[in-house]
Amino acid sequence: MEDKRRDIYGAKMNSLEEEQLIRCPICEAVNRDQGKKNICRRCHSKIYQHQKFQTEKSWAFLITAIIFYIPANLYPMLVIKQFGNEDGSTILGGVIVLWEMGSYPVALVILFASVFVPLLKFLLLLYLLISVKYSLGNDSKVDKHTLYYITEIIGPWSMIDVFVVAILAGLIHLSSMEMVAGAASTAFALSVFFTIMAANSFDSRLIKGRK
Amino acid sequence: MPLVVYKNFPYTFVLLYQNMKTKITSDQLDELIICHKCHTLHKKVSITNGSKALCKSCKGVLYHRDDSLIEKGLALSITGLILFILANAFPLIKVDILGQEQVISILSMVVRLVESEYYIVALFVVYLVFIFPLMIFLIYITLFFLLKTTKKEQVVEELLILLSKIVPWNMSDIFLISILVSLVKLMGMLEIHIGISFWTLTLFVIIDIYMTRSIHIGELWKIKEEIYMEPK
Ligand SMILES: [Zn+2]
Ligand SMILES: [Zn+2]
Repeated sequence: MEDKRRDIYGAKMNSLEEEQLIRCPICEAVNRDQGKKNICRRCHSKIYQHQKFQTEKSWAFLITAIIFYIPANLYPMLVIKQFGNEDGSTILGGVIVLWEMGSYPVALVILFASVFVPLLKFLLLLYLLISVKYSLGNDSKVDKHTLYYITEIIGPWSMIDVFVVAILAGLIHLSSMEMVAGAASTAFALSVFFTIMAANSFDSRLIKGRK
Repeated sequence: MPLVVYKNFPYTFVLLYQNMKTKITSDQLDELIICHKCHTLHKKVSITNGSKALCKSCKGVLYHRDDSLIEKGLALSITGLILFILANAFPLIKVDILGQEQVISILSMVVRLVESEYYIVALFVVYLVFIFPLMIFLIYITLFFLLKTTKKEQVVEELLILLSKIVPWNMSDIFLISILVSLVKLMGMLEIHIGISFWTLTLFVIIDIYMTRSIHIGELWKIKEEIYMEPK
């Protein structure tokens, strides 16, 4: 994309100036990057303030999220208590049960939301965080912006399983049959929360290659 | 740099090339827009009412033009709020278990989580599907009302900042999908009845999605600037 644009306008067109422009994440106004202390000229929000610890905060959130994702998969999401029996199923266990029941679309939705989306988000963020520090082959910056945008929008999808647990546990609580939330639901919710925080604290100016 | 593709309703694409070889000066910043998706810089062009400007490289929507945005926004947000209240006033789902009827609403779900000491999950649920959606619609109503009556610019600015911070945390749409997933899980096990609130919640989510897609916060800032600039 970049190259094509340069072809139309000639190689020297304002490229330096353009690199200095940033988009306010709060009000979308275009601002000139002042480096350390950016205050949006329209909404006066403090934007892109961290210069020294640009990636550290994002790393910290991401690692926390990955750590919480482990118990989220090991412990049961939902415990079914029926006639004295207790039966807990993990995320993957739940998917398998649904698949065996023949509910293929729902099994796929859960697999997508609880396994695919979180893992994809971890990988995308890892890639972004590593690639802004070390050059990994020839990766175009436009693609990286798109990857960052994807991590921003797919986040909420992973909450599906947590909501499902909340709904089932809220609906079925009789003495003979009861569904309760399992330890994994807390871990999973926290994992989702920290992944969103990791994405939000990522400084997208780094994609432009400035340190 | 300054290419904007613009889309005229319904399907005609018009390519607008504006050759701008001069240097960007700081007073021109208002004429520029950076695509949210791919960060390509564009120069804004004026578009006709009811159309939207698309990004040259990713075809994402850059901005819209809707001359009746404030009236439409006010009507939609009031409808949305009413639907949201109805969605919380009646049961979402009813099931019959061994002759006993069990119902669920968003708040009863939260209460149940608190009872079983899942405080963190309860907190997430109550914020993501109750407090934030409610706040967003209350903010929208106040905002459009203030914009319409040209009052309290300071409050409008604060509300716009707050709005942009909580909109990404509204998960009503995902919650609706979760209800559908739960229904499928329970199907075959129990007799399920869909409550009135399920339908009002569905309508609420449709309005919610439509509003987040068609009202960009950047556009509201622009409208705000235009409105409060000219003295009435
Ligand atoms: Zn701003
Ligand atoms: Zn774009």
